[in-house]
Amino acid sequence: MTATNAVEGLKRARRGVGVAGRGPATPSPRGRQGRTTLGRSWGTLTAFALPSLILLVLLNLFPVIYAFLQSLQNGTPSTLPWEADFVGLQNYVTVLTSPQFWQAAEFTLVFTIVGVFGSWIVGLGLALLLRTRIPANTVFKVLLLLPWIVPIVVSSTAWNWLVATPQSPLPVLFSWFGLDNVNFLGDPLLAQILVCVFKVWISFPFMMMMMSAALASVDTNVYEAARVDGANSWQTFTGITLPMISRSTYIAWILMTIFCVNDFPTIFLLTQGGPVNATTTLIVLAYQYAFQNLQTGIGTAIAFIMTAVLVLISVVLYRQIKKVNIE
Amino acid sequence: MSQILHADSQAPVTLGRLDSKSGKADISTGQRGKWWRFLLILVVTLLIIAPIIAVVVLSTQPSQSTSSATGFTLANYVFVFTQTDVLLWLQNSIIVALATVIVAVAVAAPAGYVLSRVRNRLVSGYSLILFVIQSLPVVTAVIPLFITFSVLGLTNTLASVAIVYIGSTMSVAIWMMAAYIDSIPISLEEAAWMDGASVFGSFTRIVMRNSLPGILSTAIFSFLLAWNDYLIALIFLQDQSVYTLPKGLETFFQQNATDWGSVMAVAVVMMIPPVIVFAFLNKYFSVGGIGGSLAGR
Repeated sequence: MTATNAVEGLKRARRGVGVAGRGPATPSPRGRQGRTTLGRSWGTLTAFALPSLILLVLLNLFPVIYAFLQSLQNGTPSTLPWEADFVGLQNYVTVLTSPQFWQAAEFTLVFTIVGVFGSWIVGLGLALLLRTRIPANTVFKVLLLLPWIVPIVVSSTAWNWLVATPQSPLPVLFSWFGLDNVNFLGDPLLAQILVCVFKVWISFPFMMMMMSAALASVDTNVYEAARVDGANSWQTFTGITLPMISRSTYIAWILMTIFCVNDFPTIFLLTQGGPVNATTTLIVLAYQYAFQNLQTGIGTAIAFIMTAVLVLISVVLYRQIKKVNIE
Repeated sequence: MSQILHADSQAPVTLGRLDSKSGKADISTGQRGKWWRFLLILVVTLLIIAPIIAVVVLSTQPSQSTSSATGFTLANYVFVFTQTDVLLWLQNSIIVALATVIVAVAVAAPAGYVLSRVRNRLVSGYSLILFVIQSLPVVTAVIPLFITFSVLGLTNTLASVAIVYIGSTMSVAIWMMAAYIDSIPISLEEAAWMDGASVFGSFTRIVMRNSLPGILSTAIFSFLLAWNDYLIALIFLQDQSVYTLPKGLETFFQQNATDWGSVMAVAVVMMIPPVIVFAFLNKYFSVGGIGGSLAGR
């Protein structure tokens, strides 16, 4: 890096831009010439973008179009598109009128809301705490990232061990408080709470990182001004800190919403969507239809409805970001 | 929370501390507040990582089914490495993850350059495509890919999962590279162009040479995606000989009486690479970069 900078400096010096490149630049002619070089090299730029474009089309766009076709057909995961019966929008009608879909949609909503705001509150709280001067600050930062770094298969194994049988640690802990036979994987409500808490546990480090980055960019001068004006700490938090990090917060919410709705392993590994479908989210339902019931049409129809809603939510939040940017 | 902000607002602000790094320096209180917060964060951290500590501890305990003794033992590790396919699955996981990282970075770096440097309608359209792709659930793409790969005879191969991983990491990888390249001043390149360098020349000699942190973050992101995935492996890999670790771990779970010692030993093997990557390279990994580039366009 430094070597390159030195070479650049030398070049600039040779052109008389300034001693060792530190002098004032002469932007207009150089800038124009630079733009022309970039503008003229569209061949190179196309070659740069092409491999990624081909991969994106083949691995992302093509499957989605194909999947849409499948959602209009009555196929299994092994039938080819021209072998399956075309049924039009029948699958969508079936899906939208089935109670299973609405039950899954309801839990997806709960799971997403708890996942997004739960992880945001925990993440922001820890980010605020870690911003202060604490011994071994960095060590805590790295340790707290662990739930996010550790593979989901490993963490679900750990949580499974915590609750699997009546002799597992958590049920034993609950029995000390007089709650005997707490069966986290057998009781619908407890299973729902368990997967939500598990999701928050996995996701808060991501929020913590995003919020730490946002907090680091807040100018501390503003706090001083607020103190002079007599604001208390809660007023400072809601009046200054939150608005100043609002842009990052919206971005984090969008990303986390996408992560939550699209999250298959968190639920599938812990409960398989059970008991009695209590923890089945839309994505788990789509998987079950496509690969367990072998009704690909219904599975993809569910996935498409889910995606449509997700894109809608993302666009609304995205607009909100734009608004914040203008302000 | 309120306590901290209170402390913050009372901290003396001196002019020397008003630069971008001032956040930490300003928030200083007395020793007592500091230790109170230290204890709080210590307890919270321990509670949070307790399940992970449990994994490590259990992996070194004798299994109840084979012996009644307690205490430290490496028998579980010896067992999973010699009596099961774990070594093979580990190898598979490494191959798949490395292939994903290499292809993802090689393709995303030049694409990120275009996204960062060129401003026209085509590129904004391209960026919009990336945004839409990012919000599509993997399950939608997986079903058609599964059928396509069956036709091509690719299912049940390591290549099939690596290809899907490359596809699912691509959009974020391009964003991350673009966000990093944004931070490399274009004036450096303009100077090279003045001297007759081509765009390809300035890309390789200036942008790539200065992009190590960006490349590393993209690589880490792709590596974690490939290493940690469960869904794709679940659907595409049916034969034990091509299992990756996440899919292999499942075979250790039995209907009743799971041998937790072996399970946790495999789990530890699985989490070592990501933890090492993070311990050494975490400074290169900034999530803010992804978010920032997402909102900026």
